[in-house]
Amino acid sequence: MKITFTLNDSETHVDVSSNKLLLDLLRTDLGVLSVKKGCEQGECGVCTVLVDGEPVNSCLVLVERLSGRKVTTLEGLSDNDLMQALQKAFVEDGAIQCGFCTPGMLLSAYSLLRKNRKPSLDDVRRAIEGNLCRCTGYTKIIHATLDAAERMRIE
Amino acid sequence: MKPVPSFTLHRSESLRDALRLLGELDDPKLLAGGTDLIPLLREGACSSRDIVDIGSLAELRFIHDIDGRIHVGAGTRLQEIADSELIADKAPMLQKASLSVGSPQIRNLGTIGGNLCNASPAADTAPALLALDATISVQTASSRRDMQLTGLFKGPKTNSLAPDEMLTEISFRTPPFGAGMDFQKLGRRNTFTISIVNAAAYLELENGVIEEARLSLGAVAPTPIRLELCERQLEGKSPSQLVFEDVAASCRVLASPVDDHRASADYRREMSGVLIKRALAIALERARRHGP
Repeated sequence: MKITFTLNDSETHVDVSSNKLLLDLLRTDLGVLSVKKGCEQGECGVCTVLVDGEPVNSCLVLVERLSGRKVTTLEGLSDNDLMQALQKAFVEDGAIQCGFCTPGMLLSAYSLLRKNRKPSLDDVRRAIEGNLCRCTGYTKIIHATLDAAERMRIE
Repeated sequence: MKPVPSFTLHRSESLRDALRLLGELDDPKLLAGGTDLIPLLREGACSSRDIVDIGSLAELRFIHDIDGRIHVGAGTRLQEIADSELIADKAPMLQKASLSVGSPQIRNLGTIGGNLCNASPAADTAPALLALDATISVQTASSRRDMQLTGLFKGPKTNSLAPDEMLTEISFRTPPFGAGMDFQKLGRRNTFTISIVNAAAYLELENGVIEEARLSLGAVAPTPIRLELCERQLEGKSPSQLVFEDVAASCRVLASPVDDHRASADYRREMSGVLIKRALAIALERARRHGP
């Protein structure tokens, strides 16, 4: 079936079978590689993308259902001030170890800070509850997210 | 990982359209949020090859307070319920229960109707809605009936709906000012975890005496359960530690849990009493704070 949706601000036309999942479309067909493939059961969060601005697991989304919707990945936010502040904080605060969870973590953190510029420690923990870090670097990830919020307030 | 086997995805433009499809297809399966169905399809655990997509039906997505009842559309996302000021104000235990399902990514996809219809004994919204004495609306292409939520649950992962029926709405009496309630959950972790036991308590006081009590437990029986016997133990009594201890003792008897990889039956039985006591303590505190 032919589907049109917006991917990172560009109109995208694809022809997919009914069982095609967004994760596979992004990585295999469209070469959007910031989105990672992990558990494929909605448990690990490495495949997180934003659909109409909200984080979802792309391994659980059928492409046919995306007609007319807006999909955003890290690639689409490279010029975004808030995302840049988050990336800078993640790098400088040592919030990246192997890096596999980082794109998903950044999108979950971004989604939180977009709505709440002064999150509490608990708000950050809640926001990333659906993103596993197998290096277990949660403390620094939480710290970097709070740090990015602080940086955005100062600027 | 195995690919998702092929199927026909029937897009429906309206509820009417979806109900018609449900009536016409041989072995239809409803797709709402997909957070449970997609993994099932991938595992080969869903044999249906006709999937009816109701995920985009705006008609199933609402939260209203009308004529003394709160109505929630079955297609309302769990995150929308968690973010609803009306729910936070009038039914805070449903907010708490909705927030305890999955992760933000899951709650942005998953619906309350899906959480109930999957009929997991551990579904977190179930005890909260049971303790709110919720009613559900079930529709086919040509009929609509209302029934108690308890009637939806048939067994583990089995609901009582016929293949042509759809859960379209959940509703409950708007809790009056002075009602106290709470939802409690025990999992292996603090967040993003399946309940080992979950519990909900609802209390209305009249002159310091328990006028109405509703209690429920999840993950300790083949379905989420209402604890009517315990409710009778509470009603007409002045709340006290002693009364709550009696109720907890009854919970341990009424629970019929199983041993599984998450916890033993004995542990679940023990914790069902503990969680009910915790929920009761908070419900009581809230009822007293707001009450006359």
